[in-house]
Amino acid sequence: MKKFVKGNEAVMIGALYAGCDAYFGYPITPASEIAHAAADMLPQMGKVFLQAECETGSINMMYGAASAGKRCMSASSGPGMSLMQEGLSYLAGAQLPAVVVDVQRTGPGLGNIGPEQGDYDQAVKAGGHGNYKCIVLAPASVQEMCDLTIRAFELAFKYRNPAIVLADAVLGQMMESLELPEGQLQVPDTKDWCVRGDAETRQNLIASIYLQIDLQEEHNWMLQRKYESMAADTQAQSYLTEDADIIITAYGSCACIALSAVDELRKEGVKAGLFRSITLFPFPKEELAQAAAGKKVLVAELSNGQYRDDVLLHLPCEGRGQVELINRMGGNLIRMEAIKEKAREMMGVKA
Amino acid sequence: MEFNAKMYDMPQEKAWCPGCGNFQLHSILREVLAELSIPPQELVFVSGIGQAAKLPQYTRGHMFNGLHGRSLPAAMAINAANPSLKVIVASGDGCTYGEGGNHFLAQMQRNPDIVNIVHNNMVYGLTKGQASPTSSKGMRTRVQVDGVTNEPFNPLAVAIAMGATFVARVFPGNKAQTKEVLKQAIQHKGYALVDCFVQCVAMNKVNTFQWYKEHTYELEASHDPTDRQMAFQRALESEQYPTGVFYSVEGRPVFWEECAAYRHNPEPLFRRSVDMEKLQDVLDSKA
Ligand SMILES: Cc1ncc(C[n+]2csc(CCOP(=O)(O)OP(=O)(O)O)c2C)c(N)n1
Repeated sequence: MKKFVKGNEAVMIGALYAGCDAYFGYPITPASEIAHAAADMLPQMGKVFLQAECETGSINMMYGAASAGKRCMSASSGPGMSLMQEGLSYLAGAQLPAVVVDVQRTGPGLGNIGPEQGDYDQAVKAGGHGNYKCIVLAPASVQEMCDLTIRAFELAFKYRNPAIVLADAVLGQMMESLELPEGQLQVPDTKDWCVRGDAETRQNLIASIYLQIDLQEEHNWMLQRKYESMAADTQAQSYLTEDADIIITAYGSCACIALSAVDELRKEGVKAGLFRSITLFPFPKEELAQAAAGKKVLVAELSNGQYRDDVLLHLPCEGRGQVELINRMGGNLIRMEAIKEKAREMMGVKA
Repeated sequence: MEFNAKMYDMPQEKAWCPGCGNFQLHSILREVLAELSIPPQELVFVSGIGQAAKLPQYTRGHMFNGLHGRSLPAAMAINAANPSLKVIVASGDGCTYGEGGNHFLAQMQRNPDIVNIVHNNMVYGLTKGQASPTSSKGMRTRVQVDGVTNEPFNPLAVAIAMGATFVARVFPGNKAQTKEVLKQAIQHKGYALVDCFVQCVAMNKVNTFQWYKEHTYELEASHDPTDRQMAFQRALESEQYPTGVFYSVEGRPVFWEECAAYRHNPEPLFRRSVDMEKLQDVLDSKA
């Protein structure tokens, strides 16, 4: 069945399919429609919607709901995401599953409500304190706003770790047709770790505090091993990369423009391909190395090289000299023409 | 210098809806400033984020347009750094009582010499109509689809309970009283809260100009604003909302006067630089 919806609404449809029990949030543009959809639909499903007094409130309500093994979420943008970082650190430390959707606007500071991808490092490198990581998924269509929200819940529960859906203002606000998900929801059992105040979970303890330094270190090593094991769940899209001479790599709404550029370049005889990261953490390292081997790489992003830095970090050494960046900021999108021009220039061909 | 309301105007157009209560409040504020003969260069307008928080941009004077919810810490610090400036905070009910609730409480304990004007439209305006802490019970919004269930926040009762030194409510539809109260608030030494009922024509269909008009009345002339218990009692009225100065006490030291930095040195903080000799003395005294 199909529905014509906004990206932000698709998030909530996905969340409902993923069995979301509770939404806690504070209004902010351009993410508010997720809360509006949650407020509309969750109570009808007998689930919880609550407008918090601030984003610190939202994330700490999630800390509580997640501790009880409930499937909870929030959504915000720039300033609100910053306020939730402290809580994300605690959730990660206490190994709790929760989903936060970041409909990125511009920054730093108040910025404006246009699209940008400047929260990349905050999401992918973990914007709070301590040695932790969040799972980060990057949708590039209204369909993926839904599907990757479901995936975020799956991964969050698989690894007992917070997951961020890193969207942007374009994806949140645009409308597309959405194929509703199919299949029966598999709700994982949480009784081995959650605390519900009943006999079954009485032996469980949720904590992010280890006062003994050796125990804290052991906990940290365990977390690092968990983050490494997430490599099993990388996801990426390679489009026309096999015979390509140049790979354009991007994520999110920026990848849609890059995809059109690839098609157009091909028509002109430039062998271009697209590599789109769908998981940003875990980073699809192997997939990228394979797609980019021996090729020039053009990174397109709506930020100051944050994604480019990760591409450089994950490419094998010999590929790193071939990487260039095209980017815009402030709410501007990259024009497809500009990507084509840059690609031609890198390939030494004239228009 | 000749003072008139126009001298506080800025050239740009105001991005508020036609009919927004912010216009009346802003207009009255300009008149009050002119009547008190405060030159724009001695004024600092401070705000957070929201529709109300745009006021500093529309008013001639210095300005600090900070983070959503965080106007008050900045205002307190500006006052402490340069006590010769008149600091006027203008932000929304969501900004001040919601996101900034903790700062709101902390200022009343500190008693900085600032005026805290809250444009109370009982809704989040800028983000399009979600309930704010002061929204009426039962009000339906696109987020509170079955109506608000929270008890509305009572800023006046909280402020009186916390020992704020000036606590008032105004409805700019009552221009004469609003003018008088704002005047007193600006002349008050210490933290002055002025909760202002302003209609949000776009996002709040319940608390309209007419609603505020019908649900407010002036505190009687016999009300004694130094009587804290009576002030508290009056602040609890909720069918009809009294307007005017509920509570006012003079003479409590203000925050900057209590700062250790001013104990032996009247020089405003913003003029001070690092005194290397003093630094040596401080370090020597630790030896
Ligand atoms: C940390 C943070 N969270 C959320 C927002 C989004 N936001 C901007 S203004 C606003 C509320 C506006 O309501 P109010 O303060 O009552 O002022 P009004 O617009 O009604 O005058 C919100 C939630 C933000 N800018 N920063």
